[in-house]
Amino acid sequence: MASLKEIRTRISSVKTTRQVTSAMKMVSAAKLKKAQDAIIHFRPYADKLHGIMQTLSSSLEDMEESVYTLQREPDNVLVVLVTSNRGLCGGFNSSISKIAIEMVEARYSRQLRQKKLSFLTVGKQGEKYLKARNYPVGEQANGLFEDLSYESVSVFAQKLMDDFTSGKYDRIELVYNEFKNAAVQFCRTEQFLPVEQESGNKSVGNQNFIFEPSMEEIVHELIPHSLKIQLFKAFLDSNAAEHGARMTAMHKATDNASELIKELTLTFNKARQTAITNEILEVTNGAEALNG
Amino acid sequence: MFLEIITPEKKLFSGEVKLIKLPGAQGGFEILTKHAPIISTLVKGQIKVIDSADETSFIDISGGVIESQDDKIIVLAEAH
Repeated sequence: MASLKEIRTRISSVKTTRQVTSAMKMVSAAKLKKAQDAIIHFRPYADKLHGIMQTLSSSLEDMEESVYTLQREPDNVLVVLVTSNRGLCGGFNSSISKIAIEMVEARYSRQLRQKKLSFLTVGKQGEKYLKARNYPVGEQANGLFEDLSYESVSVFAQKLMDDFTSGKYDRIELVYNEFKNAAVQFCRTEQFLPVEQESGNKSVGNQNFIFEPSMEEIVHELIPHSLKIQLFKAFLDSNAAEHGARMTAMHKATDNASELIKELTLTFNKARQTAITNEILEVTNGAEALNG
Repeated sequence: MFLEIITPEKKLFSGEVKLIKLPGAQGGFEILTKHAPIISTLVKGQIKVIDSADETSFIDISGGVIESQDDKIIVLAEAH
């Protein structure tokens, strides 16, 4: 059995760890609240915009005229992987990175072998994960999460759209965590560009919509806007999911530390009891010997 | 008619209305019940809403888009 001193040192070190994890939990909880509010207020807007886009595309017979819907052979593929900049959030980063790699191996293994596929990481953890496994990380935009605003995401989205229209990439995939609640995230894989056209939309297709100023202008204005909104929503989702995952992970860590402390204290008390018993035995034995 | 005005930050308005006046890209227009389905972009300006209790309210926007269909109106606005 470990000595009393050893156990005492371990207890105090576990206590320090518990303090750290519980502080991190508090911080994450506060950040989660903010991030959660942002995504929850943003979702109706994004959903409604998506609805309008669907109505629009169903009334449009030839959407091909738009540069963003142009379907090309996917020769050059870009995968945007959204992770977090900091670790200590359970399986948040590794599971999403794993999904991204699985997706790439399943659908774009040819492009990967021909070195025509590259990753763009938003979040240092994803970059680390991919580089450690020798996947090509072309660019990174890890700074986006430091100051997450619609303006900065909009600039980033514009860059992606320009890369697509200029023909640098023929397809852009987006992989991110969707926020469900503090403990649950869903891994999402979406095709960002070209815009996928919904096929099964007979219900709204027969309505004769009035378009002002004109259908072309609306399409030209709405598609880029909707893409930016889609990207911004993905980032908000991932941000909220990250804080949720970290909070849950830290909560578990705190619980584990408490459990460990309980066990160690028990061991410590047992050892102390044994030491006292031994001492008393020695004293009484000594006294017995003198009397005898 | 049921009207919803939504911005990226929050829901500005949600409820039954009698009339809504909007700053369309081709000039202002009003929507009353049984309006034909319309999708239009909006420019900077003011939305006027008369709700079912005949209360008039004004909401400033800096742009957006509107979809109206079967007396359900959705305004996606960009606030300042």
